[in-house]
Amino acid sequence: MYNADLNFIFRNPTKIVFGMGAASEVGQEAEALNGRKVLLVTDRFLERSPSFGGVEKVKKALGNKLAGVFSEVEPDTGTHIVNKGADYARSIGADCIVTVGGGSSIDTSKGIAIVLSLGGKIEDHPGINFLSAPVMPHIAIPTTAGTGSEVTYAAVIKDHEKHRKLIFADNYIIPNVAILDPLMTVSMPASVTGATGMDAMSHCIEALHSQQAEPIADSLALGAIRLIAEFLPKAIENGNDVIARGQMLIAANMAGVAFGNAQVGVVHALAHSVGGRFGVPHGVANSILLPYCMEYNLDAVANKYRLVAQAMGINVSGLSDEAAAREAVEAIRALTRRINMPQRLRDVGVKEEGLKQIAEDAISDASIVYNAKSILDPEETLKILKQAY
Amino acid sequence: MAYTFLSEEWIAAFKEKINSNPNYRESGSKWEHGTIALVMQFDQDILSKIKSDPVLSKQIKEGETAVGIWLDLYHGECREAKKVSVEEAQNAKFVITGEYARWKMVLKKELEPVKGMMQGKLKLKGDMPTIVRFVKAAQDLVDSATMIETKFVDE
Repeated sequence: MYNADLNFIFRNPTKIVFGMGAASEVGQEAEALNGRKVLLVTDRFLERSPSFGGVEKVKKALGNKLAGVFSEVEPDTGTHIVNKGADYARSIGADCIVTVGGGSSIDTSKGIAIVLSLGGKIEDHPGINFLSAPVMPHIAIPTTAGTGSEVTYAAVIKDHEKHRKLIFADNYIIPNVAILDPLMTVSMPASVTGATGMDAMSHCIEALHSQQAEPIADSLALGAIRLIAEFLPKAIENGNDVIARGQMLIAANMAGVAFGNAQVGVVHALAHSVGGRFGVPHGVANSILLPYCMEYNLDAVANKYRLVAQAMGINVSGLSDEAAAREAVEAIRALTRRINMPQRLRDVGVKEEGLKQIAEDAISDASIVYNAKSILDPEETLKILKQAY
Repeated sequence: MAYTFLSEEWIAAFKEKINSNPNYRESGSKWEHGTIALVMQFDQDILSKIKSDPVLSKQIKEGETAVGIWLDLYHGECREAKKVSVEEAQNAKFVITGEYARWKMVLKKELEPVKGMMQGKLKLKGDMPTIVRFVKAAQDLVDSATMIETKFVDE
């Protein structure tokens, strides 16, 4: 599994604060980061949702530290949103950012922090490790479980004018604090719970089969898989099950640390492209593609998929690695069926004539670089898409 | 004949090797995304070795703690390769920055450059998806460099 060539860098600088009602500690956490003028970033739906209430709680907890609220985040955050947010942050003299929301909101905040550090507009600064100093302190309070963005070093922000996604990756944009409060996720509808939960599961498996897989990320990924296998169905069956909600937040967080270090692979490369071309939500796309991508990678990483099967509670003793790996694939399919996730790309509006372009888009997605098997030819990604169609 | 890495002679040889590499001509045939600058940063140890190197001591200015290699690549050809200052390097469409030791690892094929960027061992200013589309071309550029008999100041 690991050989003498193993070498890696592992980073996990985010302070994690977990607990029922932990969001009420945001004021103290901002204080510890010398935050006196906090910008609260969220989206309109959460801000106005009567069933959520989390934004009001955070506003109250921030008290006099709250300098302003930017609630214009949209599901596919864009450069225009980030630039507007940065302008607003400057106008209120913000010195700390608190995000309440999912991946789009957290990425928006990361983008705002970049603009405040480097000036100009966010689209001036795509790249990797392009910052030379820490950015504005950032406390992330995720409301989905989830993207893991509260602990990752990347932000994906779409340039809607040019129809392309820009990647910003830098250790300095990893949030300083992640507050994991199960109460912030109880109002998540079952469909969103399922999609974001499968996004987390994809993060785990991609970290495990990545060419950059290593023991620390592997342990986190396998631990997260155990939690997701047990608690994702429970969180969907009863959205008020705060124990299940809490365990899913922890799992998504662990998955985020895992893939933030070990990287992802072809599942995400394809999911980004499917989402970009046909607007399929990220977690839904990951959920559909995951088992097909596992089948594609199986001959290279069957030993890793054996571990996935074991983490999901499947007894694979006595089976070859290949047979055990196939059990893992079927366990993933069974999980997605149990939680009523769409099974095929055609079920979510993807058109067959679009598969070729998706296959080509995926080849230039940075996610594909570390896939278990090197993929340079779009004919390979097309094979997977046709299976998943 | 061995050339000292980062010398003007080495950079000229690099251009020549790129242009005589049929693999790069093919893999880079669709590159029209602009110039690339490779920036090498020197720590104190390397700086002191540069000062006592007979070639680099004349070509790298006193006080320069990094230099860039400017590559004007287009449709599988290297139109220009030259040494530039760090400030000039920032005008390139893509700027890849790393410590001298990391670039040495790249040239010895111990570190694949695109993966190195994603691991944070090399910094990229520029559009990552564009770079990823040309992973093979990046590998062929490295291969071109490995065809030069290279002397490193710290060996």
